[in-house]
Amino acid sequence: MNQETAFWILSVVAVLGALVAVRQRNLVHGVFALLLFFAALAGLFLLLMAEFIAAAQVLVYIGAVGILLLFAIMLTERVTGEGKRIFSRGWLGGALASFAVLGALLLPPLRATVLPAHAQPVDPSVRALGEQLMNPYVVTLEVLALLLTAALIGAVATAQGTAKRKGAAK
Amino acid sequence: MSLLGGGIFKGMAVTLRNFVGSYFKKERLVTNDYAWQPEGDSELPQRASEYPKEQGEQLSDTTTVTNYSRNFPMLLHDGTEGSNPMDTIRCVACQICERECPPQCIYIEKMYDENGKYIKSPAKFDIDVSVCMSCQICVEVCPFDAIVMNSQFELSTPDRFDGLLLRRDDLLKSNNYYHQIHPEEAAARDQKIADEKAAKEAKKKAAAEAAKKKAAEKSKAEAEVKAKEAEGSAATESDGKQEAAE
Amino acid sequence: MSWELIRDILIATVPLLVIFPSLFAFTTWVERKALARIQNRIGPNKTGVPCTRISLFGLGQPAADGIKMLFKEDIVPRGADRLFHLLAPIVALIPAMLVLCFLPLEFPWAKYIQVPVQAFLLDGAVIFFFAITGINTLAVFMAGWASRNKYSLLGGMRAIAQMVSYEIPLVLSAVIVVMLVGSLNAADIASAQEGYQWFVFTPWGLAAFVIFFIAALAETNRSPFDLPEAESELIAGYFTEYSGFKFALFFLGEYIAMFAISGLAVTLFLGAGEGPGVATVPALSAVWFLAKIFALISLMIWLRGTLPRLRVDQLMAFAWKFLLPLSILNILLAGLAWHLRGQGTVAQAATWAASLLILYFTARVLDGLSRPQARPRQYKYAE
Repeated sequence: MNQETAFWILSVVAVLGALVAVRQRNLVHGVFALLLFFAALAGLFLLLMAEFIAAAQVLVYIGAVGILLLFAIMLTERVTGEGKRIFSRGWLGGALASFAVLGALLLPPLRATVLPAHAQPVDPSVRALGEQLMNPYVVTLEVLALLLTAALIGAVATAQGTAKRKGAAK
Repeated sequence: MSLLGGGIFKGMAVTLRNFVGSYFKKERLVTNDYAWQPEGDSELPQRASEYPKEQGEQLSDTTTVTNYSRNFPMLLHDGTEGSNPMDTIRCVACQICERECPPQCIYIEKMYDENGKYIKSPAKFDIDVSVCMSCQICVEVCPFDAIVMNSQFELSTPDRFDGLLLRRDDLLKSNNYYHQIHPEEAAARDQKIADEKAAKEAKKKAAAEAAKKKAAEKSKAEAEVKAKEAEGSAATESDGKQEAAE
Repeated sequence: MSWELIRDILIATVPLLVIFPSLFAFTTWVERKALARIQNRIGPNKTGVPCTRISLFGLGQPAADGIKMLFKEDIVPRGADRLFHLLAPIVALIPAMLVLCFLPLEFPWAKYIQVPVQAFLLDGAVIFFFAITGINTLAVFMAGWASRNKYSLLGGMRAIAQMVSYEIPLVLSAVIVVMLVGSLNAADIASAQEGYQWFVFTPWGLAAFVIFFIAALAETNRSPFDLPEAESELIAGYFTEYSGFKFALFFLGEYIAMFAISGLAVTLFLGAGEGPGVATVPALSAVWFLAKIFALISLMIWLRGTLPRLRVDQLMAFAWKFLLPLSILNILLAGLAWHLRGQGTVAQAATWAASLLILYFTARVLDGLSRPQARPRQYKYAE
């Protein structure tokens, strides 16, 4: 009973947070609703006994990506007060297209799965996660590391480049 | 090759020594703990100028005020212990410091005698030390070396308007006191004044000599011109005689 | 939700909620007196027993401060975001208190807990610690943003930049301990250091402890990294507009975060509750744990009284150009030493000496590199 109540509460909070995030006119409120969604997602991961993923979700999404979004909002112009409501005329077509994409993504697995599914029990410990990362998925890990290093060097180079160009223009 | 972070360790040793020493030595704990009610004889001075005057104006040996510290300005006079400071005050109330002061904390009034003629002395010279920012611009621009910086800091009073307004008589301090608190600066200033005086004298002497020389040359030139005229007239007469003979 | 579960949760958490805030009150008193003595003055010594003249060295001062803050008017600037203005101190306080549950503090009443409370024997306690400490940055942003004050916002931005930059050396120096122990569980780390094999006695552990401590000072905005809350900079930075009890909550949150991070440092490096006499009296381990936390807090107070504040660019250069390369090198050396650990005492001694020398000289080189080169001052208008 505890797990099901927790699941329902967390899911409702997650969906509400996501809805508020996309509909809110005040950008900062929207971002904080998104962070609430991330927190609810971390709770759902905890329910699935994936402690490391839950912690990583909080650490990366709330602690880093959220802050990045907030910094980006700081650099835009009009953040406080009423934002502009953008009304597009083709909203019906857009809604139909997004539902079509959702259906195309979800229908095949839904039709193939038989509920209740008996998944193979997976060891949820961190050690098991580490062993999976190091033995079968080590190439993926290294490629990800290279990608992150490239992103970091690119960020530093971009920042340096503007500084140098500004200095030269002076 | 000093230890990395060695400065931090030295600093921490200093603070530790201060912390431990403050329980044992009185000079590491200079705060006076006011009792629940003020005792009869420990009355605070009511005006900033009522603090001890001129015996070094420092309270105890551990008050570390160096030769370079400065707080608020003071006016200089060249007198001795018993004389009237206003006899030898250097300030002539030219009001340059009043005009140059950025927060405009100086208020000067010139002194006039009975006929309304301007005497070179200030009748009023007030500095509001709650406004003064110790920028030393008044010291830099004074042409008479009359205003310099004092280092006294115990100026607290209960009255923040009138109590912090230093009047002319509060500001007057002797040159000897200036030598006591800022010896190098005072010596340099005295040297500068002496040099300027010597230079002025030398210039006056040189001007006098030049004038004398010029007068002597002028008289010599006049004498020569007179002699030439006499010769010239004699020459023309002889020329005329020669032409007549041919 | 059985009653035993609720009762056991209460037994496990309520003592923490009672002990740590009272420790906080005591720490504020200690800090004010210690800083005062360092600065040649006395510190609060008048408040003691209320309504009497008995001043127990000013021990009543924290209580007096708390009562004063309760009675202050709660001012919210006009046009400020009221919801976030209210939420920010709460979001600052809750992660700090939550994280206290992950420390392996074994109080003597723990044996009265019958239903095993699995939540506190988390397998990934260390990473949860860092994840939840990261939420503090969010609270700082909320505080700076909701005050509708551009100086608070600037202060908040600087504070977030500082906290995010110093999280990396913090986590990387904890990674060394996790690597050497092989588990993220706080209890495992504590038991791996039994027999005075504390990690701080190894060269890489010592370097990691120093880096962790410096990064912890920066994470909790303590001197010399207290640029965000210094009074000569932007008044009080991101909590300028907070008065009364909300300010008290921020203050409480900052000190409890200090306790929590000191607790983690004690767990990871200083042996977590080990000390003389623990074998005979098991209750002494909690006392030793708290004593070690208090020793680290005293070190923080000592540093606050000694060092001047770092400027924001010096702060960031210190994190990125000094602590980060040093902590990565430290991980390399620790891994190398772990691989060579079974090769005999000569190899071990050689590894220790080599690691010490490499770490020290790399630190010197990095320090020399990150010093700004002294250039003659150039004036734009004064030529």
